[in-house]
Amino acid sequence: MKILVIEDEKELAQAIREYFRKDDQVCECAFNRDEATEKLNLYDYDCILVDIGLPDGSGLDIIRDLKNQQVDTGIIIISARNSLDDKIDGLNIGADDYLTKPFYLSELNARVKSIIRRKSFSGGNEIVFEEIRIIPDQMVVSVCGHPVDLTRKEYDLLTYFLANKNRVLNKESIAEHLWGDNMDMADSFEFLYNHIKNLRKKILEKGGKNYIRTVYGIGYKFSSSVS
Amino acid sequence: MKLLTKTTVYYIAFSFLAFIIGGVILYPVLKGILYREIDENLVTEQLLVEETLRYSDTIPDYHSVFGHMIEVQRGVKPSKYVMNIQDTAVYDPETRDLIACRHLQYIMISSAGHGYTIHIYKPLQRTQSTIVEIFITVIFLFSLLIILLVAVNYFISRRVWIPFYRTLGHLAEYKIAQNEALALPDSSIYEFRMLNRTLDAMSGKIRADYQSLKEFNENAAHELQTPLAIITSKLDLLIQDENLTQDQLEKLGSVYEAIRRMSRLNQGLLLISKIENNQFQASEQVDLSEVIRKTLNNFREICEEKKIRVDSSIRPEITISMNRILAEVLVSNLVTNAVVHNIPEGWIRIDLDHAALTISNTGLPLKVEPESLFGRFRKSERSRDSVGLGLAIVKKIVLFSGMKIRYTANESVHTLKITF
Repeated sequence: MKILVIEDEKELAQAIREYFRKDDQVCECAFNRDEATEKLNLYDYDCILVDIGLPDGSGLDIIRDLKNQQVDTGIIIISARNSLDDKIDGLNIGADDYLTKPFYLSELNARVKSIIRRKSFSGGNEIVFEEIRIIPDQMVVSVCGHPVDLTRKEYDLLTYFLANKNRVLNKESIAEHLWGDNMDMADSFEFLYNHIKNLRKKILEKGGKNYIRTVYGIGYKFSSSVS
Repeated sequence: MKLLTKTTVYYIAFSFLAFIIGGVILYPVLKGILYREIDENLVTEQLLVEETLRYSDTIPDYHSVFGHMIEVQRGVKPSKYVMNIQDTAVYDPETRDLIACRHLQYIMISSAGHGYTIHIYKPLQRTQSTIVEIFITVIFLFSLLIILLVAVNYFISRRVWIPFYRTLGHLAEYKIAQNEALALPDSSIYEFRMLNRTLDAMSGKIRADYQSLKEFNENAAHELQTPLAIITSKLDLLIQDENLTQDQLEKLGSVYEAIRRMSRLNQGLLLISKIENNQFQASEQVDLSEVIRKTLNNFREICEEKKIRVDSSIRPEITISMNRILAEVLVSNLVTNAVVHNIPEGWIRIDLDHAALTISNTGLPLKVEPESLFGRFRKSERSRDSVGLGLAIVKKIVLFSGMKIRYTANESVHTLKITF
């Protein structure tokens, strides 16, 4: 999987690159429009992350160029402008998603994965992790071949964990992923705790292992190295 | 009191004063002039009588040239000639009444050495009525003049002050937040032209300052997003470190919490700035019933978990003309507010009809003035996580969309009512 980050804030671009590289993914950075155009001409990327406000042009122009060249790359706009016009413009010219700064890298990662999966297999593929199997198209989950009946929130939670497996996830990012940012955090942590408890129980019931580990003070980690 | 009324009242008051003073002076002056005339006639008569008397030494059968009553009495020889003119009253046998007269008394000595006293009377009836007639005529002319002056002054003033009132009208309608400049019309009167130009310049300056302040707010909030994004991303990387101790992780957890609050605060301020900067101008017919239903759906789970009962009576297809995003933010903030400040096992009630949206919820009794809750950074000590901008945003949206909001608290029940 190859990702290009087009972002003029070097620190942010590098943080994104570091996060993706941990997953053994190829991630490169371009700090301005020229550099991005050059890289896009030379290589094919599965997904590009574009900041709209670049020093030498608009990220929207890069998207337009890509679309003109009929390149089928996943495109996520990352912008400090939380403006609906930008969002609509971006999505209209062919971006797949729009993320407003500041964002959690885990959320970005989940969105990148979801877009790449949709692009490469037209959404028909499966997510497999050890004995857990998910068919995203139908929102069907099975553990050890037994179907598991998950609520919508539990399903979202599981896919979010799987997209960010083997990483420590802070609970704010999970809560925001599930409920958006209009929630009172104190409440949502409590609900989150209950949902995780239920999810863990449902997986264990069907013969799965306990992959969800609590990282005290921070959040949770979903990993195969069972504690 | 209007300027015009005030000047007119002053005008009338001073004219009236001048009128009284003029009247007081006019009467004696008129009287003086007429009496001098009368007295001259009396003296002329007296001289004629004296002439005759001096040589004939008999009381003449004299007929007055001026219509005076003349009476001559023979008496003792006086030591000297005496003349005296004064006002007196004489009994008139015809009318059996006293009549006011001017009386000349002259004591003389004839050539024969007899003493005579001449009385000449001039009845004043005619003179007095003449004085009154002249007086009335003058007063009438004077009043006419005053009325005319006041009227002319009134009409001139009214004409002259027209540009001023026009300027006042423009100023009353002007809002500093609007985009157009004040642009007061030019006047042909120097003072008003200067006034308008000064006001134009002043409002232009205020408007520019206001605009740049608003832009500054928005830009500042906007520029903060990137550093926040960098901090968040670095934190996301940092917590992946396997070697972090429990203590360090806990501290990082607090940092996350603080960053999240700051980021939400920033987004709230940015939203308020954007509303103030008219970035949500586009309005459309928003189906409010639908927006509320969707929002309640999103909050259903939370309410269930918090054991909050939600009752709603929402008339379908209530549409209002406003910005769609603002409508969604408005409803979402209202419901969030009702949920966050609720008590366990409490309730929320939402009513929507074509006139108003009312949302009530149970909660702790209010300790402050209801109106103050709409201020920025107002929050209860209970919701540590809230940044205190929710209701400030609600108020901004309500005002921006031309609606009204009222907050009432009745012990443990809080009600927000928005009228369209």
